[in-house]
Amino acid sequence: MEKILQFPWQVPFGELSLRLDSLSLIFIVAVFILVLCAGTYAAGYMRQYRGKRPLGLHIFFYLLLSSALVFILLADNVILFLGAWELMTISAYFLIVFQDDDASVRRAGFIYLIASHCGTFLLILMFFLMAHHAGSMDLTLISHAGFSPFLAGIIFLLAIFGFGVKAGFIPIHIWLPHAHPAAPSHVSAVLSGVMIKMGIYGICRVLWTINVLPDWCGYLLLLIGVVSGVMGVLYALGQHELKKLLAYHSIENIGIIAIGLGVGLLGRGHQMPFLAVLGFGGALLHVFNHSIFKGLLFLGAGAVIQKTHTGQMDQMGGLARSMPLVSLLFLVGAMAICGLPLFNGFISEFIIYFGLFQGLFHLPLQGAFACALGIIALALMGSLALACFTKVYGTVFLGEPRHPGIQGGQTPALMLAPMLILGGICLWIGLFPQTMAKMAFSAGAYLSHSQISTLNMGNIFLPLSFIIYGILLFLIVVIFLAGLRWKLLRGLTIPLRETWICAFSQITPKFQYTSSSFARPIVDFFKGILFFKREGGEVKGNFPLKTSMASSVHDAVEEFLIKPMYRRLTVLSKKLDINRIRYTQMYLMYILLYLIFLLAWKLK
Amino acid sequence: MFIVFSILSHWLIVLALSPLFAGIIAKIKAFFAGKKGPSYFQLYFDLRRLFMKNCVYSRSTTWVFRFAPIVNLAAVLVLSLIIPLGSFKAPVHFSGDILLAAYVLGLARFFMIIAALDTSSSFEGMGASREAFFSCLSEMVLFMNFITLAFLTHSISLSTMIGADIPMSWKMAGTVLLLVVGSLFIVLLTENSRIPVDDPDTHLELTMIHEVMLLDHSGVDLGFMLYASAIKLFIFAGILVPIVYPVQTGIPLLDTLIFLGGMLGLSIVIGVVESTMARLRLNRVRNLLLIAFALAFFGFVVKMWKG
Amino acid sequence: MTTWVDTSCIITVFLALIILSNYRVTAMIRIFALQSFVLSLLPFFLHAYSLSGRDIFIVIVTMVLKAALAPSILFWAIRHVSMRSEIKPILGFGSSIILGVILIAGAFWVSSSLKLPGGKPASDLILPCSLSTVLLGFMIMVTRTRAVTQVLGYLILENGIFLFAVSLFDVMPVLIEMGILLDIFVAVFIMAIVVNHINEEFEKDLASVSRSKMGETF
Repeated sequence: MEKILQFPWQVPFGELSLRLDSLSLIFIVAVFILVLCAGTYAAGYMRQYRGKRPLGLHIFFYLLLSSALVFILLADNVILFLGAWELMTISAYFLIVFQDDDASVRRAGFIYLIASHCGTFLLILMFFLMAHHAGSMDLTLISHAGFSPFLAGIIFLLAIFGFGVKAGFIPIHIWLPHAHPAAPSHVSAVLSGVMIKMGIYGICRVLWTINVLPDWCGYLLLLIGVVSGVMGVLYALGQHELKKLLAYHSIENIGIIAIGLGVGLLGRGHQMPFLAVLGFGGALLHVFNHSIFKGLLFLGAGAVIQKTHTGQMDQMGGLARSMPLVSLLFLVGAMAICGLPLFNGFISEFIIYFGLFQGLFHLPLQGAFACALGIIALALMGSLALACFTKVYGTVFLGEPRHPGIQGGQTPALMLAPMLILGGICLWIGLFPQTMAKMAFSAGAYLSHSQISTLNMGNIFLPLSFIIYGILLFLIVVIFLAGLRWKLLRGLTIPLRETWICAFSQITPKFQYTSSSFARPIVDFFKGILFFKREGGEVKGNFPLKTSMASSVHDAVEEFLIKPMYRRLTVLSKKLDINRIRYTQMYLMYILLYLIFLLAWKLK
Repeated sequence: MFIVFSILSHWLIVLALSPLFAGIIAKIKAFFAGKKGPSYFQLYFDLRRLFMKNCVYSRSTTWVFRFAPIVNLAAVLVLSLIIPLGSFKAPVHFSGDILLAAYVLGLARFFMIIAALDTSSSFEGMGASREAFFSCLSEMVLFMNFITLAFLTHSISLSTMIGADIPMSWKMAGTVLLLVVGSLFIVLLTENSRIPVDDPDTHLELTMIHEVMLLDHSGVDLGFMLYASAIKLFIFAGILVPIVYPVQTGIPLLDTLIFLGGMLGLSIVIGVVESTMARLRLNRVRNLLLIAFALAFFGFVVKMWKG
Repeated sequence: MTTWVDTSCIITVFLALIILSNYRVTAMIRIFALQSFVLSLLPFFLHAYSLSGRDIFIVIVTMVLKAALAPSILFWAIRHVSMRSEIKPILGFGSSIILGVILIAGAFWVSSSLKLPGGKPASDLILPCSLSTVLLGFMIMVTRTRAVTQVLGYLILENGIFLFAVSLFDVMPVLIEMGILLDIFVAVFIMAIVVNHINEEFEKDLASVSRSKMGETF
C-alpha cells in the first residue's frame, strides 16, 4: 500500500515527491495525535507567559516543527528528507530555548544543536553514499538497487550513529537529559513522543531500503537496545528531577524499540517472516504507544511543575489531594509505561516478548542466545521501570507534602482535556488492541518485505484475545471485591488517625522516604555501572552541628567520554591558537581550499 | 458454560486450600520450636475475624491505599487461573500466558508499593524500597527459568511447561531440571517472604520486607492482603510441585491426590527450611538471588549444550 | 548412570563458581573439600556396571588425598600463618557471579568445537564442565591476593583437569592419573613449605611488618 505524489521543485537533485506507505502511516498517526494534544495543552500552559515572552514566535516554530515532522515522514527524496530534518532540528531548538534567560536552558539548547548536527553530518554522508550507489536521489528507486554486504554494513553503521543521536541510543544520547528538562512541558512531550521517533523512523527507512543486511546488524541493534534500555532506566532511577527522569526513561523505551527492531532484523535475515513481522510490528506498536503515554506523562509533569514551580521531586508530596485528576491520569501513564496489563504498554511489550521467544525456539545458536539476553534484559527493564515509577508516583503525589510552600492547585480544562484523550487512548489500546496491532503488523510486514496475508497472524492475535479476556476477568473480580468491601463496611464509621511511626509524638513529613532513599538499594547494587557521587554528609565530632549531603547520579558517557574529549579539544585548539584568525577569513580559506580541491580533481 | 464452571471450581480449590497450606507450615515451624503451635485452620479463623472488623485509615492516605488490597487479591486470583492444579487443567491457557502471569503479579506489586508510600510512614517506605529492589532480581531469575523451561518443552504456555512430558524430561534432562527446581525454590522463598529471605512473623523494621507493607492495613483490607499472600504461596508451590513430582497416571482422582501429596511434601520442606535457617542479612539476600540466577543460567547453558 | 555423572559435573562447576564469589577462607576450603569428594566419586559412577579394582583404588586415593589431606594441610597453613580473610575483595559478589557465569558460557561455547579422542564419552557434559572448572580455577587465582587462596585456585584448576582425565579413563594410561595426583601433592607441599618460610621470615622481624601482610603474595 503505497501512494506516491510528485511535484516539480527547483532545488537541484531534489523533487517534491511524497510517499505514504504502511511504515510512515503509523508514525504519522502518532505525530498528529500528539501534536494536536500538546498544542491544545500549550494553549492553557502558555497563558502564564502572555505578555512576558514572544508567544507568537513560539507558536510559529511549533507549527513549523509539526510540518517538518510530517514532511520527514512523507519524503521520498533524499534532499527533501534532509531539508525537512534540518528544519525539524532548528525549529525544535527555538522551542527548547523558550526560557532563554536561564543559562542552563541556553546551554541545553546549544548541546542539542551541536549533537543534532553531528548526527546530521553522518546522515548526509550516508544518504549520499546510498544515492551515489543507486544513481538516483529517489528513495523508491534506491530501494530497488542492490547493495554489497560491505556497503550495506557501512550504511547501517552510519544510520545507527546518525539517527541514533536523534533517537537517543547510549552512548550518543547526551543531549536528551539536558534538553527535556529545559524545554516547556508540551515541547518536551513532542520531543520525547515524536521527535526522537524520527530517529527510529530513519533507521526503519534504511532497513527497508537495504533489503539484505549482513547478520551482525541484527545482533548490533539488539545489543544497543539492551544497553540503552538497562542504562536508561538505571539513570532514571538516580534522578531527583522529574523531567530529567522522564527523559532518561525515553531512552529506556527507545532501547525496547531497538530490541524489537533487532529481533525483526534477525528474523528477516534468517528467512523467518513471522518472526520479522512480530519483531518489527511490536517495535512499531511500541513507538506509537510510547508517544502516547510519554506525552501523557510529560503533560502531567508540566501541570505539576506549573503549580509547584520546581521540578525537584523531593520537595513535592501529597499532590494527589490537591490535583486529583492530574494524579489519576499520571497513574494511568505510569502504569502504561511499566507495561502493566490493562494499558497499552503491556500489549507492545507482549508482542516483543513473543517475538523473542519465537526467536529463541527457531533461530540458530547465536540467535537463540541473543534472544535469551533480550528476554532477560526486558524483564530487568520492566522491573526497574516499576521501581522507578512507583518512586515517582509515590514521592510526587502520595504521602505528605515535604515542603510546606509547595502545593497543587486547579488545572485549567484546556490542559486536562488532552491528557484525558491520551489516557483514554492508552486504555483503549490496552483493552482493544486489534486495530493498532493490525496497523503495526502491516507496517512490520512492509518493513520486512513480506506479505501479511501469507502469514498465520492468528498465532499472535489468539493470545492477544485471551489476554483481553484475562484483563476483563480481572476487572470483574476487582468490581466484585470492591462491592464486597463496600458491603462489609456499610454502616460503619471509619476512623481516621495519624500514621503510626513507632510512638513518636511529633510526626513531620520528614519521616517519609524521599525518592533518593527509595532508589538507594538499586543504585547501590549497580554502583559499578552508575557513576554515583555523594558530597558531604560526614558527621564529625561528638556534638555535630547541622550538615548537608547531596547525592547524584552522573551520566557516565558525559563524564568519561564527552567531557574529557572536550577538554582535550579545548587544550588542542588553544595550542593551535586558532582564535587569532577571524571567522570570516577562516571561511574564505575553506572556500579557497575547496575550489583548489575541485580544480585539482576535475582537471586531473 | 464449561469454562465458567472450570473457573469457579479452580477458585474454590485455591480459596479453600491455601489457608490450610499456610497453616501446615506454621504447625511445622512450631513443632521445630517445641511448641504445640496454632491450629491448622488458624488462618481461616483469622480471616473470618478480620472480615467482620472495621478498618482504620491514616489521614495521609488516599484512595490508592484503599484500592491496593483489592487489586492484590484480584491479581492473585486471576493468576491462579493460569496454573494447572493436579488434574484440573488451567481454565486460562494460551501461548504466552507466563507473560500475563508475571505482569499481573507486577500490577499487584505496583499497587502494594504505592500504597506503602501513600502512608508517609518510614517503615512502609523501607519495605517498599526493599521490595522494589528484590523484585528486580527475582524477576530476572524467574524469566531465566522460564527461558530454560520453554526451551525444554518448546512452548510458552504454563500448562504445557509444567504439565505434560515432565517424566520424559527428567530422564533426558534431569540435571537441567535439578538446577531449575533449585532456582525456582529460591524464587518461591523470595516472592512469598519466607526465611531465609524475609521473616513473615517479625515486626522489627530492620528485618521487614513484605510484612511491613501489611503494617498499616486493618480489618477487611488486611483480610484481603493475608488471603492474597496465602494464595500466592499456594500458587508458587503449585508451579514447583509438578516439576518435581513428574507422575501422570491418567486417572483424575489419582492425579489430584498425587498433586495434593506433593503440595503437602513441599509445605513440609518449606517448614523445615524456615525452621532450620536464620534470616539472611539483607545484602546476603541479594547474593542468594544472584546465586539463583547463576543456577538458572547454568541450567540454560547446559540445556543449550545438550539440545 | 549418566544422570549421576551429569549431576556430579554440574555440582563441581557450581561449587567452583561459589568459591569464586566467596572470600572467606574457611568456607572456601570446605567447599573445595566437598567438590573434591564429589569428583572422587566420579570413576565409580562412570564404571558402575563394570567396576574394577583400579576404579576403586582411584576413588579411594583421590578421596583421601584431595578431600581429606589437602584441605587439612590448608587449614594447618592458615592456622600457622594466622591469616585473615580478604578485607576488600577485588571483585564484588555480583561481579564475580556474572563473570563466572560468562566464563562458564564461554567454556561451553568453546567446547562445542572441541572433540574428545577415543570414541563417545560416557556423558557429553564432562568436557565443557572440566573446561569451565579450569577457567574458574584460573579466575580464582587471578582475583586473590593471599598465597593460600591462590594455591586453592590452583587446586581447583587441577580438579578440572582431573575431571577431564577421568573421562578418558580407557584411553589414557594410568600414568596420567598418578601424575595428576602427584602434582597436587607437590603443590600443597610447596605451599606449606613456602608459607612456613614466610612465616619464619616474618617472625624474625615482627615489629617492622604489619600483621595484615602475612601470607600475601603480589
